Amino acid sequence: MVEKAVEETFEALFALTDLRQIFRDTKPTYRFNSEQKRQIRDIIEKVRGSLDVIEKELIK
Amino acid sequence: MIGDIEVRGREELFINIHPIQAAGRLTPEAMKAMIAYGDGYSTCDWCRKPFRLDKISRPPISEFHLELAEFVGMDQARVVPGARRGFQAVVSSLVEKGDSVIVSSLAHYTEFLAVEDVGGVVKEVPLDEENVITGENTAQKIEKVKQDTGKLPKLILMDHFDYMFGNEHDIHGVGKVARDYCIPFSVNCVYSLGVMPIDGREMGADFIVGSGHKSFASPAPSGVVATTDEWADKVFRTTQMVGDVSKRRFGVKEVEMLGCTLMGANLIAMMASFPRVRERVKHWDDELKKSNYFINEFLKIEGNKVLSEMPRKHTLTKVDTTGSFDKIARTHKRRGFFFSDELKKRRIVGEFSGATRQWKLNTYGLTWDQIKYLAQSFHGIAKKYGINVA
Repeated sequence: MVEKAVEETFEALFALTDLRQIFRDTKPTYRFNSEQKRQIRDIIEKVRGSLDVIEKELIK
Repeated sequence: MIGDIEVRGREELFINIHPIQAAGRLTPEAMKAMIAYGDGYSTCDWCRKPFRLDKISRPPISEFHLELAEFVGMDQARVVPGARRGFQAVVSSLVEKGDSVIVSSLAHYTEFLAVEDVGGVVKEVPLDEENVITGENTAQKIEKVKQDTGKLPKLILMDHFDYMFGNEHDIHGVGKVARDYCIPFSVNCVYSLGVMPIDGREMGADFIVGSGHKSFASPAPSGVVATTDEWADKVFRTTQMVGDVSKRRFGVKEVEMLGCTLMGANLIAMMASFPRVRERVKHWDDELKKSNYFINEFLKIEGNKVLSEMPRKHTLTKVDTTGSFDKIARTHKRRGFFFSDELKKRRIVGEFSGATRQWKLNTYGLTWDQIKYLAQSFHGIAKKYGINVA
């Protein structure tokens, strides 16, 4: 289903946009608090999940 | 890199104190909107009769227009490609060749151009000793125009906060004068709409103009022009033109808007930022606390001065470092650029590169940690070059 891959492409881009915001909020020292560390972990997990779906839908 | 265009990571990598960039930084929601709606006429997917941007309901553009008008305390609003197009729409609707228009002597150049475009003449209200426009000075200028030309000015265009000092001007006083003389009153809220609560009715305004890219966390160009029902028919008048050969009419299109205005990603980004903008204006006091905290720390550096009104009522401030950093610049091999170099080493950008006399900065949107880091960095630079810090 290409639709699913397209949807996950946007989801991954949006998750990475949330990461951009964390950079913006913490610059220039990037001392992350526990909540921000949790958000970063969630974002990475989300992007990995989206990439897995994209790979499955398009390549495998 | 995007081909030969460098990626702009300065908002992720640096504290940016650029005077005009601070409150236009996008929200994450707006950044996502830019990703999803970047294609040309992306807002037109569901455009149906009557074929006008502000009538589109999917995405909810029509609803946004209603909420926007309410947000600024007016009856009707339109999005425009920058505040300058808002000034232009108002001026073009009300002013004719030879008419006088009252402006601030700190008015933005685009207000001048909007008046010039229709053959009008700007008449500037002088500042008081605090670099503020008062109702009294405005009334005196109106009387002078009346005396000189035999006619009252056709419009008053006044800045809520100016771009030069970030000073707050006596909009309520000017609004009262406008009512007393029955002159339409347009308030330039480019530095206020989107960062602090704005109520056009309470200001006594007939028109409110704001900037998306300056104060509404939106991409350039974007802006707002809002008015009352009384004036809407004039400024948002629809076309009466008929083609002499084709007999075509475009009845619903608004003349001053040139039909549809802010099509595509810029509008959707404004809409995406709106919930956060609506919330952030409630926290303007916090922004002022941060602005004043930084400025107080800045003034601990011997020789530093603030040219804007004090205490600060805005996050945009004009400062003077002639008595501090400029003294170093006079003998430094990098001249004024030594200061930019030192700031950049500390991951701070946005000052006018090379300037060490009078320049502007804006602290809007910085966190407390960033504000304190900024203050410490200024102190650190001063100490490094032997300038006393109290």
